[in-house]
Amino acid sequence: MDILVCIKRVPDSEAQVEVKEGNVLKIEEKYTINFFDNLAVEEAIRIKEKVGGKVTVFTFGSSSSIEVLRTALAMGADEAILIEDENVPYKDEFVTAKVLSRAIKDIPYDLILCGREAFDTSSGLVGPFLGKMLGIPVITMVTKVEVKPDERQLEVEREIEEGRELLRVNLPVLLTTQKGLNEPRVPTVMGLLKAMKAQIKRIKVEDLGIKPDSIGEETKVEISKLWEEKKKRRIRWIKGTPEEMVKELIELLKSEARVL
Amino acid sequence: MDFNLTEEQEFFRRTIREVVEKMIIPKAEEIDQTDEFPWELWKEFTKLGYLGLRYPPEYGGMGLDKVSCMIFYEEITRGSVGFAQSVIMNMLMGTHFIYRFGTEEMKQRCLIPAIRGEKIATICFTEDQSGSDLASIRTTAVKDGKYWVINGKKQWITNGPICDFATVLATTDPSKGLKGLNFFLVEKGTPGFYPGQKIQKIGCRGTVTGELIFDNVRIPEENLLGEEGKGIQYLQEILDEIRIMTGAMALGIARSAYDEALEYARKRVAFGHPIGHYQLIRAKFADMATELDAARLLVWRAAWMLDKGLTCTKEAIMAKMFATETCIKVVDECTRIYGANGMALEYAPQRHFRDARFLLYGGGTHEVLRDYLGRLILGKL
Repeated sequence: MDILVCIKRVPDSEAQVEVKEGNVLKIEEKYTINFFDNLAVEEAIRIKEKVGGKVTVFTFGSSSSIEVLRTALAMGADEAILIEDENVPYKDEFVTAKVLSRAIKDIPYDLILCGREAFDTSSGLVGPFLGKMLGIPVITMVTKVEVKPDERQLEVEREIEEGRELLRVNLPVLLTTQKGLNEPRVPTVMGLLKAMKAQIKRIKVEDLGIKPDSIGEETKVEISKLWEEKKKRRIRWIKGTPEEMVKELIELLKSEARVL
Repeated sequence: MDFNLTEEQEFFRRTIREVVEKMIIPKAEEIDQTDEFPWELWKEFTKLGYLGLRYPPEYGGMGLDKVSCMIFYEEITRGSVGFAQSVIMNMLMGTHFIYRFGTEEMKQRCLIPAIRGEKIATICFTEDQSGSDLASIRTTAVKDGKYWVINGKKQWITNGPICDFATVLATTDPSKGLKGLNFFLVEKGTPGFYPGQKIQKIGCRGTVTGELIFDNVRIPEENLLGEEGKGIQYLQEILDEIRIMTGAMALGIARSAYDEALEYARKRVAFGHPIGHYQLIRAKFADMATELDAARLLVWRAAWMLDKGLTCTKEAIMAKMFATETCIKVVDECTRIYGANGMALEYAPQRHFRDARFLLYGGGTHEVLRDYLGRLILGKL
């Protein structure tokens, strides 16, 4: 099974971020692979380990993004491709999906995995756009994947409001990953060494038949303004006997904080 | 000249950091509190294969450069010093002489399982009357036909009470002083070889440190590692690496304290602002960051010299001492940044404060090292 995974390098959740003049973000030098993309890489490798095949990871970004490609290689991906965005001006999700779809067009695939959304921009659009552009079905918020290789089908569980649904879909398909899908592995030394030595394939947007200058025009959505909202600290006091308080706290952690 | 790590080394560093953050840091406090060897973590971690970093692939290693090894030592120590000490003992001192001078059979029996984490290694130098002063070692090895008979007691042995095999420094001729010293391989189960008391320590808890007793231990003659009379010469071969490694461990402890204090200074509010807003706290970070950077450059420079095959005895001592003194200062400053919380057992600074102390003795006391470095600089007068 040929699996493609689209990943993104994003600021670490602990990195300090400041909004500067002209909607520019000043981000502390702490980056990592996007949380949901990491789930996608892990799932791709698990599927490969089960039914065989090849995992190729893509990213559309700067040379620094090579590090997240190497992370995926260390985990067990077979090939990594960087689509360079060095000369590319600001791009929206539509353009990112278009560039990825051009890069993917000539590569054989059965399954494409994307994170549910990027932790920095949180739009959740690239996956669905990419599926549309490639003309394949898209299933979002996936929490479980079962491969049925003989039928060339997948059985997919996804999160819905207050529940789950189980779907069956023909390959090829694009899935976006949701928290809970898996627990990404820690790379072994062998994986790490392989990743350190691996040649990363680099593609320029020009090679995909897209002129960097034209990207500005193709971008449909622009950011007008960015600002930080000071979080208001809401403190709520729970009253009652210790037993009642614990009960209510657990209820609130489930229903409001949604951490349980 | 190029001060950058290669892109591969940078990636290695980041990955190790993430592995440590995921697997080791969450357990660090528990390891310190219980002071028990973390067997479960040991099994889980060694399975990944990192213990072979400095050995060639034919023994399950990676043959990685020394700069990358130092990066590894720093990162793993940042996770938990107690755990790191045991890991590094298996990776470096506890296995080096078997790799260099052991028979192929010994390598199969000891080196490879140690790299896999299936066996615990150690090296024994120290005795009650002999630390830096190796010439006064009293553990003896006497030839008896095709055997060596070892007698003596070793102290402060990292991994000692739980080791599966030990590289033991013993004298074959006390009248020869340093030139009488030799390394021997002694394996668990050999009659007369057994662990003594475990030492209760204020820091580096989790590592089992203690005595090893040799009571008429008979080992085959091939267990003498290398040529007789050359022990001290062989030791010189890795002393530099051990010292640089100790410097890297100092960086690890210091960074652990520094990173936590940085987060604390950003969040802890006093007089209406996070304390990092105030000049005297900012000055602490400015000084700590500068000295940590300088220490890391010294450590990396010395490791780079090792990689280039250059003599780096002076540079290794400088790196070890400067990184250690920086660490001692940083862990102290960090407890001050935490205010009274720096004294509370529920906060981490006190752990780093305790852990840092071992650096002052491991790899040589600074009293001995400074004098030695001074002699190297001034020459024989």
